[in-house]
Amino acid sequence: MTWIESVVRRLQRPMQRATPSPQAERLLPTMRQSWRADVPGSAVVFLVALPLCLGIALASNAPMFSGLIAGVVGGLVVGALSGSQLMVSGPAAGLTAIVVTAIAALGSFEAFLASVVIGGALQIVLGLARAGQIGRYFPSAVVRGMLAAIGLILVLKQLPHAVGYDHDFEGDESFVQRDGDTTFTALEHALHATHGGAIVTSLIALAVLILWDRTGLRKLRLLPGPLAAVLVGVGVNALLGLANADWALSGEHLVTLPVIARLSDLAAHFSLPDWSAFARDETWQFGVTIGIVASLETLLSLEATDRLDPHRRESPSSRELVAQGVGNVASGLVGGLPVTGVIVRSAANIDAGSQTKLSALLHGLWLALAVVFASTLLNHIPLAALAAILLYTGYKLAHPKVVRAVWAQGPPQFVPFLVTVIAILLTDLLHGIGIGLATGFAFILFDQLRDPCFTVVSHSGAVLRRVQLHDRVSFLNKGTITRLLEEQKAGSRLELDASHCLYIDHDVLEYIGNFRQIALQRGIDLRLVGFKFPDEPAT
Amino acid sequence: MENLKRLFETNRAIVSEITSKDPEFFARRAGKQEPHFLFIGCGDSRVPVETLTGVAPGEMFVHRNIANQVRSVDLNLLSVLQYAVEVLDVKHVIVCGHYECGGVKAAMGSQSYGLVDHWLAGIRDTCSRHEQELARQPDDERRFRRVVELNVLRQVYNLARTPIVQGAWKRGRRPMLHGLVYDLQDGLLKDLVLEIDGNDGVERMLGTGRRSIGD
Repeated sequence: MTWIESVVRRLQRPMQRATPSPQAERLLPTMRQSWRADVPGSAVVFLVALPLCLGIALASNAPMFSGLIAGVVGGLVVGALSGSQLMVSGPAAGLTAIVVTAIAALGSFEAFLASVVIGGALQIVLGLARAGQIGRYFPSAVVRGMLAAIGLILVLKQLPHAVGYDHDFEGDESFVQRDGDTTFTALEHALHATHGGAIVTSLIALAVLILWDRTGLRKLRLLPGPLAAVLVGVGVNALLGLANADWALSGEHLVTLPVIARLSDLAAHFSLPDWSAFARDETWQFGVTIGIVASLETLLSLEATDRLDPHRRESPSSRELVAQGVGNVASGLVGGLPVTGVIVRSAANIDAGSQTKLSALLHGLWLALAVVFASTLLNHIPLAALAAILLYTGYKLAHPKVVRAVWAQGPPQFVPFLVTVIAILLTDLLHGIGIGLATGFAFILFDQLRDPCFTVVSHSGAVLRRVQLHDRVSFLNKGTITRLLEEQKAGSRLELDASHCLYIDHDVLEYIGNFRQIALQRGIDLRLVGFKFPDEPAT
Repeated sequence: MENLKRLFETNRAIVSEITSKDPEFFARRAGKQEPHFLFIGCGDSRVPVETLTGVAPGEMFVHRNIANQVRSVDLNLLSVLQYAVEVLDVKHVIVCGHYECGGVKAAMGSQSYGLVDHWLAGIRDTCSRHEQELARQPDDERRFRRVVELNVLRQVYNLARTPIVQGAWKRGRRPMLHGLVYDLQDGLLKDLVLEIDGNDGVERMLGTGRRSIGD
């Protein structure tokens, strides 16, 4: 390279910098580059999703197939329309309580499907109205608390599955379980009903996961740890069967996918909504509930997934609502449960090393194909091996490092975080989030209330106290302003200077305007500078 | 020493006379001072402004120098002004000159008195600005009186131009500036310009008194 070339190159450099977007985008993975990671990732998500889809359908008192349909729609339909790269959608544990109530109240599953369609339509409207913005207002501490709580729930709820106590449905997130146990009593019962084969399988699967994570095997993109763990789990179970039939896992300890013998039988599992149900108010009420709750759960999952994304990509939240809405309309029309963005599957997706939404899309495809072609094969997978994957995912979500990081940010972050964790753990996801949000907003409110919103600019001994209002005086500052004015004694002189204000809340302005009269009565020399009261022309 | 002794004796006599009528008179005024006036006057011993106006202790903040000058580099005056305006929140700032002022007379003449010549440079400036008007005065006595008045108006203007007063006016019509002159012969205060509480007031003063202060 001659010196002239190097000079020319140097001159060109700023020109290149002027168009940063292609360069920045080059840093982010594209499907074309990352399919090697996304395809195996999709297999992991599929394996995790399979028992969850079935378990949630079971818990919803709905046909087993409706969970799988929701899983397929969540992957293929929502995946295709969503702007999120890593979030996985599908049937959600958080909705089971609503689904059970709705099916019972509406009288039939088909009538319930009409509500799902309505809920989906509402989500499309919400998305078009840009309601996704609400997602930006979830306090960070609450979202982190939710992730940690889900991690803990995964560990606590999967421990029974890992030792072969497969009583509760897969994917339960509530403290009080359907089988009457709570999270903790289930643990105790599990201790008395362990299954040797399950313990061996889950321990070996866990060992595989840790081995993959801690050694160079992590770089084996075509065989991510969770996938290896499942394969080893199936192998271990087969070997156990050869050695001692008592130890082999079978029946409820394995994935139990309904077997479809002939393709023509498939059609029987789809159902259409009961169109007459649209005429009933209740259908609409449940539809609106589903639409709102599913949207909230989606937005929370979206925030959480973006937080876990190693590339820190921000997903468009309103577009996500539209995608979810289309997904729910589709799911409802063919006989599926409602879908939402779901955290456990998304976290497993990220853990498996997926980079783009190709993995979410493909997991839907695998679910569809598995039902038709591979059910007998998949029914060999021990739940204990899947429990190992979820235990490990849960451990990462609730890692002490996470807790320590929030602790270091002080009580205003840690208290809402802890409240969210405990509330979710002891109730369920939606109620817990509600309590967490209330706490989070209380802290934000308290913080805003403490905001001084003014600076005293006069000298400390000055006869005239000069107070300069900050550029923004919000409704939350009304308490501070009221206190300032109320504490003035007769004969005191106070100057309030609003000339630096860009915004004063209407109520605050009104209060100050009214206080002029009170100041006269109390003998307070109140001087207002730079105020524009709405009732008088600006001077 | 005799004179000094008299000061103490008189002081005690006055205090006892006041406290016999009002025992709390001084104690009451020892607290926070919240004067309404800042008085900028000449140091001349013949201008006993507090006595003449009857202000009680605590009512007037006073700054005096030779020929009641307001100069933008005078740290002493600026400190007094800032303290009075921003801490004591005075309502009125008065510049008060007086006829037969020695400082003005010195500035009008050609004799040298040392350092004070520098101090009075502003008055010589005022004289040259108003040369024509002063030349029209019938006699030296009238001319002297006119320079005293012009000097007061000039100092009011200087006062208005200080960042301290400008800053205060930006927040409201406080303080008000007043220009007065005191006549030693009859002991009366005469107003030259009153109640200037903003730059519009300064404009008015310049307009009506363009000849007076010549800008």
